[in-house]
Amino acid sequence: MREGGNVLRSVLKAASVSVLLASFMAGPGCGAGSPAEPVIGVAMAHFDDNWLTILRTAMADHASTLPGVALQFADAQGDVARQLSQIQNFVAQDAAAIIVNAADTTATPSMTKIAQEAGVPLVYVNRRPAETTLPKGVVFVGSDDLEAGTLEMEELARLMNHRGTVAVMVGELASNGAQLRTKAVEDIVAKYPGMKIVEKQVANFQRERGLDLMNNWLTAGAEIDAVAANNDEMAIGAIMAIQQAGIPAGKVLVGGVDATPDALAEVARGTLAVTVFQDARGQARGAVDAAVKLSRGEAVDSFVWIPFELVTRENYKAFLDR
Amino acid sequence: MLVGIVVLFELLGWSVRGTSFLFNGQRLLVMVLQVSIIGLLAIGVTQVILTGGIDLSSGSVVALSAMVAASLAQTAGPRAVFPSLVDLPVVIPVAAGLATGALAGWVNGNLIALTRIPPFIATLGMMVSARGLARYYTRGQPVSMLSETYTRIGEGALPVVMFVIAAAVFHVLLRYTRYGKYTYAIGANAQAARISGIHVTRHLVLVYTVAGLLSGLGGVMTSARAASGQAGMGMSYELDAIAAAVIGGTSLSGGIGRITGTVIGTVILGVMTSGFTFIGFDAYIQDIVKGVVIVLAVVIDRYRHREVHA
Repeated sequence: MREGGNVLRSVLKAASVSVLLASFMAGPGCGAGSPAEPVIGVAMAHFDDNWLTILRTAMADHASTLPGVALQFADAQGDVARQLSQIQNFVAQDAAAIIVNAADTTATPSMTKIAQEAGVPLVYVNRRPAETTLPKGVVFVGSDDLEAGTLEMEELARLMNHRGTVAVMVGELASNGAQLRTKAVEDIVAKYPGMKIVEKQVANFQRERGLDLMNNWLTAGAEIDAVAANNDEMAIGAIMAIQQAGIPAGKVLVGGVDATPDALAEVARGTLAVTVFQDARGQARGAVDAAVKLSRGEAVDSFVWIPFELVTRENYKAFLDR
Repeated sequence: MLVGIVVLFELLGWSVRGTSFLFNGQRLLVMVLQVSIIGLLAIGVTQVILTGGIDLSSGSVVALSAMVAASLAQTAGPRAVFPSLVDLPVVIPVAAGLATGALAGWVNGNLIALTRIPPFIATLGMMVSARGLARYYTRGQPVSMLSETYTRIGEGALPVVMFVIAAAVFHVLLRYTRYGKYTYAIGANAQAARISGIHVTRHLVLVYTVAGLLSGLGGVMTSARAASGQAGMGMSYELDAIAAAVIGGTSLSGGIGRITGTVIGTVILGVMTSGFTFIGFDAYIQDIVKGVVIVLAVVIDRYRHREVHA
């Protein structure tokens, strides 16, 4: 009994300290740039997501080519509450503009409100905000995820001669990208009477989860002609499971989205039938340029669309160094 | 509990798929395969919990070890992290991964034993820092193009074999050796253990180092299996590992628990994942049910314990 009390007490103590720690971690980190020079704050949803890392690096690279533009990055680690306080911190330190890669796109109205009240220009990048219209001084730079799912599934359907069964690997349920890409895949499959979605499960955009999910489907005896994954990492997991099960290459078509270097290598090997190039550098350039323009009082369109591009065996080489 | 869940899925399986859930060797393998890395962590955290502690860092240590090991397992090419350290013999990345894990565990153990801060805090700090280090290591870039000899470690049933071997080794160590006797004694009453001549500090450091080593092994297996090292690997594995230990009857106040129980707890987690997929359960509801099952399993276990003692 006494020990139980001790455990409870230490858990309570631990909880209070972790709150304290969390409030420290919420800070955007100091030391980047001198306080006199105005910075553009960049609030990222994740530092360790592969594609977002390309985006983040591309923003830093592009900013370094522009005189008088300094970026300061913050990592929300997927936590929207942490991201909100990071945005407030950027406002408090008089950022010239703020670029947000939203940790949760349903929370964007409160982010817009913080920036608008402080009069700081705001640029959403990659993840589309929940609002249908954006006020002056707030813009979105990104790609339309419905387009990604449509390109992916149309190409898979064409390779299947518009007949057969499809399994869908869904990313994080709360993410807009997963929802819209999945919806597009479902809409395309519904268009063709000879095609049917037989499985649909979540693998959180992760390779290992995709591998486990495909293993489970294969052992459940599901008849799958094509796997449409919301991203490349899950698609690569599916490919690994297919290979390890000894199924001949090409029997099950696999499609992904992102055109990461690993995915392009799979396309070259002929194991990944299709992926969709999301232009990280295009989005990064667009976002930084928009933030700079807004901070100088210039006008920018509310929605800046960067197109997706279909990647197949025929054209993958063109994407190797993009 | 395990039997109940399996029977439930078996019945649902027949009504949904028209085939048996259980009587399929390949599926039984997959069920354990997908949780075998969590199982390795669970074996480690069980021992830590037995001493009356907790380890929140295991998932992050998986990521850090995976990054370190993967970076030394690359083949020559433009994407090598260390262009001069490619195509190394496979023992080097494996040893580096294990050493990284053991080192993290050793730091945990020393923090707890020497500064006497609660294990919750020490390992919370390690959880945050190890994840940060994993990201810092390559600035978030994934490490791929790993050699085939390395990825072979994670292929097929090998993660399961590792899990079973680790379970067997620590089952024996805990039950039949001084290592186990000390572990249980410290968890039951650290003061009494000290008085009866057990070097508590040294033993705690050893137990946390063992847990770290198992996380390091988990990191090696994960990166080999995915043929890639990524800083986001092992995310929230520590909670699944603790859940597996607790479902398996390990008491969070220390001193009570068994590796065999933890193995069953781990398998329950795997059975649930496979079962949900098998019957095509709505993805939005799976986690809700999983949480309920975890709590329910512990409630039933406690209830049965009380019956026995009464």
